[in-house]
Amino acid sequence: MARAKIEQHPATGTTLVVMVGLGIAFLLFIAFLNVVKSGNILSEANLLYAALVFYAGAGALYLGFGVTGTDAYVKFASLMTWAGLLANTGAVAHRWYEAGHPPFASIYEMLLAFVWTLAALTLIAEKRYGVKVIGTVTMPVAIVGVILMQLLPSEVRPLVPALQSTWLHVHVTLAMLAYAACALSFALAMMFLIQDKMKTETFLAATSIFTVGIYAAVLLRFEKWGGLNVVAWDTENKSEMFISRGVRLFVTIPDLGWLMLLVFAAVAAPLVLYILSHVKKNESFLAIADRAVFISILLQALALIFFLLRARNGQYPSLDAEGLYATSLAASPFILSALVGGIFANLLYLLLLWRREDLERLLPDADALDRITYKTICIAFPLLTLMIAAGAYWANRAWGSYWNWDPKETWAAITWLVYAGYLHMRITRGWRGRRAAYFAILGFAVVMFTFFGVTYLLPGLHAYA
Amino acid sequence: MVPSLRSAFRKIWQTLSSIKTGVVLIILVVIFSAAGTVILQRPITDPDDMQRAYSPAMLRFFDATGLSDIFHTRWFIALMMLVSLSIIAASVQRFPNAWRYFARPYKSPDESFRKALPTQAQIPIVDEEQGLSAAERGFRHLGLKTERIVRPDSFSLFSERNRMSEMAVYIVHASLLLILTGYIVDALYGWRGFLTLSPGTVSNQVEMKDGSLRTIPFSIRCDGTGEDTYADGTPKRWWSKLAIVDAGREVSRKEIVVNDPLVYHGLRFYQASYGRTGKLDQLILNATPANGTKGTPQEISLALNQTVALDADTTVQLVEFIPDFVVQDGRVYARSRDVVNPAVHMIVSSKKANTRVNVWLPAIPGVDENASSPYILDPKDLKTGLYTGLQVSHEPGQWAVWGGVVLMAVGLTFVFYVVHMRFWVVPVLDARGRTLLWVGGTANRNRDAFEQKFKNVVEQIQKELKSGSVASAQTQTTEISGKSIAGR
Repeated sequence: MARAKIEQHPATGTTLVVMVGLGIAFLLFIAFLNVVKSGNILSEANLLYAALVFYAGAGALYLGFGVTGTDAYVKFASLMTWAGLLANTGAVAHRWYEAGHPPFASIYEMLLAFVWTLAALTLIAEKRYGVKVIGTVTMPVAIVGVILMQLLPSEVRPLVPALQSTWLHVHVTLAMLAYAACALSFALAMMFLIQDKMKTETFLAATSIFTVGIYAAVLLRFEKWGGLNVVAWDTENKSEMFISRGVRLFVTIPDLGWLMLLVFAAVAAPLVLYILSHVKKNESFLAIADRAVFISILLQALALIFFLLRARNGQYPSLDAEGLYATSLAASPFILSALVGGIFANLLYLLLLWRREDLERLLPDADALDRITYKTICIAFPLLTLMIAAGAYWANRAWGSYWNWDPKETWAAITWLVYAGYLHMRITRGWRGRRAAYFAILGFAVVMFTFFGVTYLLPGLHAYA
Repeated sequence: MVPSLRSAFRKIWQTLSSIKTGVVLIILVVIFSAAGTVILQRPITDPDDMQRAYSPAMLRFFDATGLSDIFHTRWFIALMMLVSLSIIAASVQRFPNAWRYFARPYKSPDESFRKALPTQAQIPIVDEEQGLSAAERGFRHLGLKTERIVRPDSFSLFSERNRMSEMAVYIVHASLLLILTGYIVDALYGWRGFLTLSPGTVSNQVEMKDGSLRTIPFSIRCDGTGEDTYADGTPKRWWSKLAIVDAGREVSRKEIVVNDPLVYHGLRFYQASYGRTGKLDQLILNATPANGTKGTPQEISLALNQTVALDADTTVQLVEFIPDFVVQDGRVYARSRDVVNPAVHMIVSSKKANTRVNVWLPAIPGVDENASSPYILDPKDLKTGLYTGLQVSHEPGQWAVWGGVVLMAVGLTFVFYVVHMRFWVVPVLDARGRTLLWVGGTANRNRDAFEQKFKNVVEQIQKELKSGSVASAQTQTTEISGKSIAGR
């Protein structure tokens, strides 16, 4: 029903394309500034920039497919992904050569490896298992990754003594492989839910809950008296500023908190309307909810742009110390990826809303997707196990104990337990289909929290990542 | 009383072995360990930070319940033990069935089994023997061993691969238990401490987390320590040369660096920190006679309490070193032990004149008597002592942990990548009395790949049948007739 309505107003689609096009152009512009700054033409930054262009191109083509329903777009998107992977490989190789060690020493280098693995796995899923539109989910993740890399400090730094260990490289390689496999299983589980005839409005509820969760996390952690707290940035050393060991210095960007609060209300609206439609048993609320999603995307984009403009640089006061301190986008990777992630989640919902039939036509059937999800987790789980083991072995050599219950370790163990639970339920209890898919989604949520949330939301000392 | 006790025990056992209990326990572990990452934890966090973060009542509550040091409380370890027990109970409960399956494989399928098996095929054949031997050749061609099963009323083939895979889950569970056991042993009997050594010193006292000292059964001596840096000054490498002295004899020597500890008698010594002690090692000065200019400056070096002769009559003694000095009410005090604002106190004495002059560097007005010193002392260099900080840990359970990890890797490989597949071939008669070769197969995982494998097996058998039938077409015709007579 919503689909019919949209087709009566094709202008809505065009507006979206223009808006997203502008958004991507803006992000590319930022990346382009970096290239200009670097000066050298065939450098790692430029390769990475090329990768971003190709990945973003692939993403845009998937979006184009979403708006127009032209199958050819999907084919070109796949080609774009290949090109992006090629550029990405170049960037990895360049960095490896330049640094003299595999690129796993900082969060920048790990993101580089993660995005590479994700793109490679996406292509494998496409070619080997025929999951053609898997990129609609994985490419946005890759784009967020590359954008974050543009902002993070990227110069090759000498390794501090604790990081000079082969075991660390083993640990991080395994982590990236495992996390990329988890990301893929998440995407596959989502596709399964589409093929399993899950109602479109349930996806509306899911994306809304996700976005509401994101904004709730940002507000709870960073909102202070209408301002937004971001980490202060030491421009000379290109690092975050600390008050004491493990405690970051925050500066407050005034008024941005209010904007976030407004956007929070906007992203909560579709969820409220969804609940209303259930309580009142009135379908017309859903149609309004779809429009509310559209409005919330506009507001989210606005919030992102304001955040980019104000947190990019500038001096702000701090509650913890006297005087003004600088900040930088690089100091707030969590907020940035949260905002971009929220927009992508809602765009994916619109893609589903408008192009569900095309998606269903292009995807393998539900059973096959269910099996491939399981297979991906069968790959991810041993990798997770070995990743934890290698990390423990390294910790034992570097810090004198194989298990310190540091938050990152603890959450890695929780991730492991969740996937172990999935496997038990699947093998001994025969959980198939939806319940298994929910479990796979939960697993990836925990992975994301371990990767980003633990570093930026919790107190702790896994300082290298 | 006895039967009720037994039934109570059985009830507990059943509860422990149920998957529900397992799930509840794991959820509890997840909740508490997640709480441990959200609530600031005691040993790592500074007590002041704790007080700043939580209200006194809250902090008292956290401390009383152990929530401020979850991972080292008795109840968390008890929870881990309960999880172990649950794994044991669940494994023991399910093991006999799996073992029966493993030890006594089902080789000769009966009719109801044949009907129910999802993956099966029927190939028309001429007679039992020809069909079975063709099947044997087919399996051999695909690298599968076969076994002829002869029963009083039937005659069939059985083939399988990787039966071990059925036991894989128990290998994984056993490995998990091994890891948990190691962890629990370490939690109960392991300890960690800290040892600070300056070059040339020996110690057998380890400072524990709570500040108490622990005597280890041998001594450790530091023969040197240092830091290498990159060109930009960031540390590249910290090293310490250590020697173990056991019962008065030097038994072991090693240069340790971060990531490469020294191990002796179950104790591990890690390079944890490195720095300056704040104690004076050597002071280097230039001494110039104060009266007249004929004397050339002489360079002398002084350690604490050392006396050096400047000429036949005059000596200088270093009596005090204050790393971070402050002057108050005409007296000099030490503010901290960090070498940030050092001062040295020397006494220049002359035997003939019987004078003792207090010389301070730097000059401290109101305290020093530098002006009346017969020599002008000019500081050149100040060398403070180095120390190396060693983390000492005793983890008797860690070998169980590493063994468990290796076992788990093996177990998981079996669980995910080794498929137990079984095939049965039985000659049967269909409703119209024709002889058919019934071929069935099953695999414990990765069913789609197995379907393909099964298809290959059936095709290979058909191929073997065809080539066999061309070669012995003549003899077969007679046997068919013979068979039909027997069938009647």
